[in-house]
Amino acid sequence: MPDVTQIVMAGADDRDLTKLAEYEAIGGYRALAKARAMTPAEVTDELIASELRGRGGAFFATGRKWSFVPKPDQVPNPHYLVVNADESEPGSFKDNEIMARVPHRFFEGCLITAHAVESKDVFVYIRGEYTGPYEVLVDALEELSKRPDLRGDVTIVLHRGAGAYICGEETALIESLEGKRGQPRSKPPFPAISGLYASPTVVNNVETMATVAPIVEMGGAEYAKLGVENSRGTRVVSVSGHVANGGNYEIENGLSLRDIIFRADLGGGVPGGRALKAVIPGGSSTVILTGDEIDVGYDFDSLLKLNTAMGSAGIVCLDERVCMVQLGIRVSEFYEHESCGKCTPCREGTRWMTTILRKLEDGRASRDELDLLLDVCDRINGKCLCPLGETAAVAVASYVAKFRDEFLAHLDGAGCPFGDASPLDHVLAPVAMHTHSPVAEVPA
Amino acid sequence: MSAKLFDEIQDVRARYPEGSRSAVLPALRLAQERYGWLTPDAFREVADALELTPAYCKSVASFYDMFDLAPVGRHKVEVCTNVSCALYGAQQVLEAFESELGCRAGETSGDGAVTLRAIECLGGCGWGTVVAVDHEYRLRVQPEDAVAIVEELRGA
Amino acid sequence: MSAQPELVTVTIDERSVEVPKGTGMVETAAAAGIEIPVFCYEPRLGAAVGACRMCLVEIEGMPKLQAGCTLSAQDGMVVRTARTSEKAAEGQNSTLEFILVNHPLDCPVCDKGGECPLQDLTFRYGPGNTRMQFPKRTFEKPIPISPLIALDRERCILCYRCTRFSESVSEDGQLVAENRGAGSVIATFEDEPYRAHFSGNVTELCPVGALTSTQYRFEGRPWEIQNVPTVCGMCPVGCNISATTREGKVKRILSRNHPEVDEGWLCDKGRFAFGHLRAADRLSEPLRRAGGRRYVPISWDEALDDAERLLRDAGPSIVTALSGGESVEQAYALARLLRIGLGAHAAVLPEDVPDTLDHYRAPLSAIRDAKSIAVLSDEPVVERAPIVDLWLRAARRNGAAISYEAPAGAVDVLVTDDPDQATRVTAAAVYYLPRTPNGRGVTDAWSCASDGEPADEEPRLVIVSGDEAATDPSVRALAERADAVIGIGMFEEDFRGLADLVLPATSYLERDGTTVNLEGRLQRQRRAVLAPCPDELAWISRLGERFEVEISPHASVVFGEISSRCYGGIEFGDVGERAELPAAAVSKPPTATPASDKLSQTTSGGRGAGAGAGGALRLVAYRPLFSGPAVERTPELHFQRPDGEVELAYDDARARGIRGGDTVTVSSNGTALQLRARLSRELRAGTVRIPRDTAADLHPTVEVTK
Ligand SMILES: Cc1cc2nc3c(=O)[nH]c(=O)nc-3n(C[C@H](O)[C@H](O)[C@H](O)COP(=O)(O)O)c2cc1C
Ligand code: SF4
Ligand code: FES
Repeated sequence: MPDVTQIVMAGADDRDLTKLAEYEAIGGYRALAKARAMTPAEVTDELIASELRGRGGAFFATGRKWSFVPKPDQVPNPHYLVVNADESEPGSFKDNEIMARVPHRFFEGCLITAHAVESKDVFVYIRGEYTGPYEVLVDALEELSKRPDLRGDVTIVLHRGAGAYICGEETALIESLEGKRGQPRSKPPFPAISGLYASPTVVNNVETMATVAPIVEMGGAEYAKLGVENSRGTRVVSVSGHVANGGNYEIENGLSLRDIIFRADLGGGVPGGRALKAVIPGGSSTVILTGDEIDVGYDFDSLLKLNTAMGSAGIVCLDERVCMVQLGIRVSEFYEHESCGKCTPCREGTRWMTTILRKLEDGRASRDELDLLLDVCDRINGKCLCPLGETAAVAVASYVAKFRDEFLAHLDGAGCPFGDASPLDHVLAPVAMHTHSPVAEVPA
Repeated sequence: MSAKLFDEIQDVRARYPEGSRSAVLPALRLAQERYGWLTPDAFREVADALELTPAYCKSVASFYDMFDLAPVGRHKVEVCTNVSCALYGAQQVLEAFESELGCRAGETSGDGAVTLRAIECLGGCGWGTVVAVDHEYRLRVQPEDAVAIVEELRGA
Repeated sequence: MSAQPELVTVTIDERSVEVPKGTGMVETAAAAGIEIPVFCYEPRLGAAVGACRMCLVEIEGMPKLQAGCTLSAQDGMVVRTARTSEKAAEGQNSTLEFILVNHPLDCPVCDKGGECPLQDLTFRYGPGNTRMQFPKRTFEKPIPISPLIALDRERCILCYRCTRFSESVSEDGQLVAENRGAGSVIATFEDEPYRAHFSGNVTELCPVGALTSTQYRFEGRPWEIQNVPTVCGMCPVGCNISATTREGKVKRILSRNHPEVDEGWLCDKGRFAFGHLRAADRLSEPLRRAGGRRYVPISWDEALDDAERLLRDAGPSIVTALSGGESVEQAYALARLLRIGLGAHAAVLPEDVPDTLDHYRAPLSAIRDAKSIAVLSDEPVVERAPIVDLWLRAARRNGAAISYEAPAGAVDVLVTDDPDQATRVTAAAVYYLPRTPNGRGVTDAWSCASDGEPADEEPRLVIVSGDEAATDPSVRALAERADAVIGIGMFEEDFRGLADLVLPATSYLERDGTTVNLEGRLQRQRRAVLAPCPDELAWISRLGERFEVEISPHASVVFGEISSRCYGGIEFGDVGERAELPAAAVSKPPTATPASDKLSQTTSGGRGAGAGAGGALRLVAYRPLFSGPAVERTPELHFQRPDGEVELAYDDARARGIRGGDTVTVSSNGTALQLRARLSRELRAGTVRIPRDTAADLHPTVEVTK
């Protein structure tokens, strides 16, 4: 990893931190002891001081979230900590690497958080496909279980998902963890009040958890010196697509997107001397940026000015060959496939979007249908039960807004000007793969 | 009926609060590992072990992509074709597997060895094309790697 | 009583309305006379899920539209519905457009047409035309999900009402959603029939024509039908129903929500068994035995002559066997005829309900709010009084502790099939589950007609009133010992070979009268259709004249007489459409003696019997809900009959290594049956249950082995 301040991944380049001994050798689990010497409220205050915001996508202030949990004397039900390790946002693969390389820092964060929210039961909901990280966690947990001094009276259960993007949404995750179909719940009540088993529950992302121990160790105020206003500390960003060095990089918040993509020690630029056409800045749910919009700080406020977000920090780079209609199809197909089917606008709207986009790509659409696409997006947006459908609509609408000419060029029999020169040409998506179990065939 | 599966499910069940249904997903996973796919009888067994109905268990299973509700091959090759992997050429990788296996994505090769699928983002976007071979990730897979992978599976 | 709820003021479309804090927004708006349209919202199914997004409203201070159904009234809330908010109107219009994207719009051939919320709301809130230019989702249609219910997946709007009913009201776990997203479908496991006591409710819950009754398919359009408000006569709950009739025939039965009795749910027997009205062997004229099993039809004058002769020959040595399905008025009229006219006081009464039960009277809905409940019933509650089972489930979801063993201390609620338990268990409310629909009313009516004591002698004449009595083995045995038998019934086969004279009877859907349910609630039944024969009161009245007993042919007059003796003088016309429950009798009887020791005396086997791997188990041969003369004559209900099943207590099964679905051997004294095990946690340890017909020759103590 490059010479940036490392918090989450610190030490992982030099040692095998999957081993408890190695992790302890660099001071691991000291923060846990320190936290346990503090009251839960003091630990929460430290997090509030750090200004850490959740790394799962919604960017909610972590310390504040913990402070919403009622005290055990207010609500006698057990309190739960649920860790969101369902990472499935296209473009994001940071939690994968965090769990695989610094499992103990992750668990240490879980144990500190459990202390802060007075929970004895931690559930780590890890996406079913992550066999590698799962095995690392199993081994690390086994080492930990032999150390009652560290584990204390906290039980950590690893719960494996089974393939459903929506289970990353916290209430769908809770449903899934309760053994149900992973469909989001209507909020309120929020999980902090009534979450897992109708009990107070904190849901936090893997990276958030892996940041907790360093914060307690260095002190919240010290952590808050890193980064920029409203986006403190570091962030592990996932860089993929048309860059030389795809991978995860821990950066200080506020570093420019251009640096992330082009610096030799980071993304390393677009290969083949091609021009950067567009960047998805925070996973496929975020509004796209053109290649000209990347001189922007990678932080909440700066990206908000461009109507977009860090999301789950999945930065996808697209070079000049990529057709934006094809991108729209592939993204829309993803959301159509992953729509849980509970609320009407998302279930029906994403399917409708895909249908119109396919017509556009084939040149079978008129200007009216392009308008219809935007109208359908508009009609999904703001009306769904959870953000899945809405982000799909917003993301696709942003492709049209920023590459309008390209969409217009497809109309009225013209068809795709890129064709198979674009790497996204006729990519087979699971939703189109009708024989794929279990999602039923939707005959035309 | 398998007494072993029943007992394994009871072990899993004990990890969660009494009366909860949390063991459904792990139990389905165990059943699938045992029978290769979730047969009607597998659902009946899981339902019995968890005091639920087979309909409920299938309702849950069918929500998730990783459960197989129809017979599959002895091995699975799952090619991520989401945006990042597609930018690296996932479609060509998928097609290489199709021609190597002689079946289309979503199908099982004629010899019953391998089920091939396109799959949504596997969470390895920077290392694409990612292919999960029996749930183990292979990174930076190129179309020409298909031959060796298929050989490996057929030999195994 | 709980404290007065705090009132809050909410402004909806500029109208302000005061409601208790926390009232649902849909109800709050309704209180202001404003409709918030809904599809998925149905408070009886539990907390709102906010799935369909039909109810979108604008709330001041919230940037996004909100699902009105998920909101509750908070003080000062300012709400705008589609009437005054363009944004909300656009939201609802969007939802409808999305719903219609895949809807077939086959209203002209849809049974729901004319009474369809989707049709209705589309007309009022929907887009004028479709902008969708791609093929709709198509499915094979309609598919039978049971012999009773058809599912048309193309019409389904995925509101999940039906699956939520199955999952969290009846808790049968049979009707579910499969797959995800746009591929989601409503389904049963492997297309097996939806076999559950309450399945029919989903046809009423479905807001579109996706789930329909196979009996009602193409049978009527809303403008051709009439709905008669009455009360079900199939079991002692007495659910409030509407009988839909067309051209003098009953076409379907719908619920008519009585919030204290049934909450708008019906069991499948009550809903679907009306086909018995037109059974092939339905009697319409009197029959006289012409030797053996041969009968000839006779005129009513001849029949009354025959009856008079048979009655006079027998004098007072007559026993009347009642079914418990008669109306209060019928039973009373019969009692007047026989007891006053002939001094024939002997009767086989369907129920013996001690008056002490009136001290523990409470509406069924009180079960839902109980914290501790004892269910001491050998027979499954659901088979005897189905809706009570739903109330118990609601209580458990609310956190009630339900015990199936005699409780150590006092409980809020006792549910039992043994009236004596009321004196053993200390409970605030006791629900005795009678065996018959109107056993209590029939017993009341018979008793209050006279004070005469029956003579203790072998009967010369037995009067068998009703098909239930005619198919009861003990009644048949009694009848066989008598010189003569008069039958009063609906179905020829039930009386063939048994009676010398058979008089045709009406069904509860064909007469006016009253009935008393298990709570002790007096309810009014109304004639929905004409019977194929005269009303019982008409000929009993005429027969009465011959014995100089005055009996009115009018139910209202007959009721007036009983009411002054039994029901506090209430008038026939005042037994409301949603009848009230009389208050519990005031002075409580002496405190009950602690239960546990006494209970074990009354039940053989008892607790320890199930312990250990071997042990004999006590057999309860119960009468299934889906049995009896009406069900026998409704072929589409036959799949509901429990077939070849044995219900085992969970722990007893595990101790024997038995799992649900296993084939087990149930044996006693040389009889052995192979049955499919069903495991239950709602059964006392040491007990097994087998339907009466299946159990046939088994003895009361059985061994169960794998
Ligand atoms: C459709 C959808 C998918 C999501 N997927 C994830 C995910 O994979 N991982 C994650 O941590 N958060 C995900 N989230 C965000 C979670 O709902 C939740 O905000 C987060 O887990 C909270 O943790 P944090 O505060 O530590 O970020 C998702 C949200 C939505 C709406
Ligand atoms: S079948 Fe009817 S009740 Fe069930 S989900 Fe579909 S529309 Fe709703
Ligand atoms: S009625 Fe509110 S979302 Fe369906």
